[in-house]
Amino acid sequence: MITLSQRREVGEFRKRYRWMALFVVLVFGGIIVRVAQVQLFQRDRWSGIAQQNITKTLELPATRGVIRDIAGRVVASNRPSYDVYTTPRLLQPEDLDRIASLMDLSKSDQATLQTRLDQIPLSRRSQQLELFGDIDREQLAALETHQAELPALDIVTVPLRDYPYATLGAHLIGYLNEVNAEDIERAADPGTYHPGDRIGRSGLEKRYEALLKGSRGFRRLVVDARGESLEGNRPDSLEVEMLKQPVPGHDIQLTLDMQLMEAFERAFRPYPSGAAVVVDIHTGAVRALYSKPVYDPNEMSSGLSTKRYAALTADPFRPLIDKTMYETYFPGSTFKAFTALAALEDAVVDPMQRVECLGSLKIGRQKFRCNKRHEWVDLYDSVVQSCNVYFWVLAEEVGLERINRYAKAFGFAERSGIGVNSEAKGFLATREWYEEHYGKFRIGYTLNTAIGQGNTRVTVLQLALAYAAVANGGSLYVPQVVQNVRSPDGSLSETFQPRIKRDVGIAPEHLDLMRRALIDVVQDESGTAYRARNKEGVRVAGKTGTAQVVSRKGRSEESSSAWYLDRSHGWFAGFAPAKDPQVAFAVLVEHGGSGGASAAPIATSVMQQYLGETGPEEAK
Amino acid sequence: MAIGRTIRDDFDWPLFIAVSTIALFGVLNLYSATDGGTTSDAYVQQLYWLILGFGVATLTVAIDYRHFERYGWLIYGGCILALTLVFVLGRSVRGSTRWIALGGFSLQPSELMKIGLIIALAKYLHHDTKTGGRTLVDLIIPGLILALPMGLVLLQPDLGTAMVLAFIFASLMMLTQLKMRSVVTLLATFVVAAPVTWFYLLKDYQKERITAFWERLGGTPTDLLDSGWHTQQSLVAIGSGGLTGKGFTQGTQTRFRFLPDQHTDFPFPVWAEEHGFLGAVLLISLYVFLVLWSLRIASQAKDRFGAVVAVGVGAMIFWQTVVNLGMVSGLLPVVGMTLPLFSYGGSSLLSTMLGLGLLMNVSMRRFSH
Repeated sequence: MITLSQRREVGEFRKRYRWMALFVVLVFGGIIVRVAQVQLFQRDRWSGIAQQNITKTLELPATRGVIRDIAGRVVASNRPSYDVYTTPRLLQPEDLDRIASLMDLSKSDQATLQTRLDQIPLSRRSQQLELFGDIDREQLAALETHQAELPALDIVTVPLRDYPYATLGAHLIGYLNEVNAEDIERAADPGTYHPGDRIGRSGLEKRYEALLKGSRGFRRLVVDARGESLEGNRPDSLEVEMLKQPVPGHDIQLTLDMQLMEAFERAFRPYPSGAAVVVDIHTGAVRALYSKPVYDPNEMSSGLSTKRYAALTADPFRPLIDKTMYETYFPGSTFKAFTALAALEDAVVDPMQRVECLGSLKIGRQKFRCNKRHEWVDLYDSVVQSCNVYFWVLAEEVGLERINRYAKAFGFAERSGIGVNSEAKGFLATREWYEEHYGKFRIGYTLNTAIGQGNTRVTVLQLALAYAAVANGGSLYVPQVVQNVRSPDGSLSETFQPRIKRDVGIAPEHLDLMRRALIDVVQDESGTAYRARNKEGVRVAGKTGTAQVVSRKGRSEESSSAWYLDRSHGWFAGFAPAKDPQVAFAVLVEHGGSGGASAAPIATSVMQQYLGETGPEEAK
Repeated sequence: MAIGRTIRDDFDWPLFIAVSTIALFGVLNLYSATDGGTTSDAYVQQLYWLILGFGVATLTVAIDYRHFERYGWLIYGGCILALTLVFVLGRSVRGSTRWIALGGFSLQPSELMKIGLIIALAKYLHHDTKTGGRTLVDLIIPGLILALPMGLVLLQPDLGTAMVLAFIFASLMMLTQLKMRSVVTLLATFVVAAPVTWFYLLKDYQKERITAFWERLGGTPTDLLDSGWHTQQSLVAIGSGGLTGKGFTQGTQTRFRFLPDQHTDFPFPVWAEEHGFLGAVLLISLYVFLVLWSLRIASQAKDRFGAVVAVGVGAMIFWQTVVNLGMVSGLLPVVGMTLPLFSYGGSSLLSTMLGLGLLMNVSMRRFSH
């Protein structure tokens, strides 16, 4: 009886067991599905994190390639800088106070640091991060003493860029600064740059970044959750590479001669601003690219304050501008050589025919002034003495089209192709351009163009290359600043051959006539650069020029310097030595007034120093 | 009828083998989890506990379960008393008071309370004359039986155990034929009670864990320094195990101390990391078998008390296992919950073995009169 009644009572539960069993199976089934998802389908992801967990990666930075000049003098190299890195995951909250006191940080610096650390996303917490760069000796000593108590910190010796010539050639050589998000994103290989890395930001450092940079290496340590190293306890499942040696960058040898650059630096001392370019006439190799004034590359690389940037921008002598190739100028009388060659080549003039210069020329209602009364002059005399009247008369015969055509052949109004930094194109105004901008075309525009005023604008580099073509018999070269590239092991990995852009298409006898005239500009008593000649030593040939300065409307310098900034620019462009030319040059003294008095003496004295006793240095 | 005959013929071998296997795996896993660490002899202690546990279970089996029915209220009262003593004699670990020292070792009365609750509810239902059509009124007394220990446990506070008590209660009540209307009313009450619990009953660290869990489910990156970190590292351990695992004592997450509480609340990731998906499925299957087997025992029980005890023990194991696995695999928020038989810990093991002893008891006496 009892048994029966009990069985019936239990019967109330009977209907539930099946449902409960079903529920149990479903719930456990769900868990198994989840475990399968994690273990089978997401395995790679979690394995990656597991390996990342137990490894600490120390970066081994690559040594950036060294840049040397033609004689092997170091232009850019590296010095050791001590940088402090941390692995945020391992940093204990109390460590920060310790670090702050060892580094002698201010309260606000500490707070900034704290904020910065707090913002690091989880995915990055196991990666090293630069806390301080280039710490001083005292900080280094303090940290090294207490390093054992701060396992989250690593002091890494990193080579820092060093420019022994400081500002000299800074525009060309360039500088480095910290990579930004865009650089990291844009790099072909995702791991190329890490935050805190430096990247070539301008000049050769930028142009040859890929070669100079090298590639970083790393060393991995096995660590536990507290960051304690467990060397020798390497688990079998760890499938990552533990060591990769860094590969240093390539070394670059320039065609530049830093001694020549220094000679320009000295010669330009009386003037606040200007530029000079020297090229090898047989190769187009650039021996000097000098621009004054210059910014300090060290200052640029550490990041300019807005105030400093504003000061640099406001400087009337524009230190940020590379005056050898980014700025354009009226060529002034240095352009006459090309007007004359255009006339000779197209036979529109008999070089023997004389013109009488009375000190001015009246065309229509306008009166054009010459620099003095030259009496009867032929083409040769007018180049030597820089007679404007002769060239005006000539210009009427030659016409604007011919002048422009030959000027183009000599490389004006086109980029030279030097391949470093931004380069200005320059400008040659056509008849159509004048009509468009000034309404009616007047003959006066042609006359101005003939003597290098008008609207013709050239870069110092273009002018030097054009005179190189005059000196070498008509070959216009693509300028080259890099002689060769060497692999880290010292072997030559690339040598740059001279590249001729084109033959300018001028008959040898005409070029010869022009060269003789250019020699007499310096050597003949009547020459405009006679007073700048080297009385003994290197004979230099060239053409003086004085370029008017565009009125500086709207600028607001104080009047004390305003008079200076209104003065004309002085030019001297030519080649040396006179009889057996090796180099061509263009020297511009901003606001130097007459080219014969300002630019020519610089050119002749520098050429004397450069070619004087030993001749130019060759690549070692 | 001689007891000797019963043991030979009615001994529940499948139950015994399943339990022993899980416990053995647990010891092995513990050995691996603590290998080379400061608590490297923990597995030896666990072995002692296990032997003690089997002893307790044997003792429990030897006594006819109807005696437990008879002294049901006494057992329940004793557990309540022990729970109360926690507040007088207890020692505090990580902000909550759960332990009382008993001679050389510590005990967690809240663990014993689970068995106490099961026995008390079983006794109540055993004497209940109703056989169906239950309404909320019928839940009042069982509800009070739950409320007293649950309140005490929440005061400790021990959210995990309180949850298990509630789950056991709910499971047992689902066993009875509650009217649909009453179930709906209960659900509605829960909806109202949840926010009250959140705002007034939960401690900050408990809330943080739950918040971190929801944020992670929603894909929001959380700070991984605390609870989110625990789950993340647990998933790393499980996931990196792959199909076959890294091998015994080869789990890097374990050896390099990335797993939190790896031998108490997180033993499963250790297991899954070293033995892979295959090992994980094997272990989970043993639990599935254990729970289904307890339902089978319940269905064959000769009286209500036996059936309710069997379902209660099954529910206890089921819910703890599910919550623990759900937590370590990122499906549930991190609440302190051990994996029955598998986790390191004496009190948890003892109460589980006590429960399993009862289960065996019911199983063996299903045909006897």
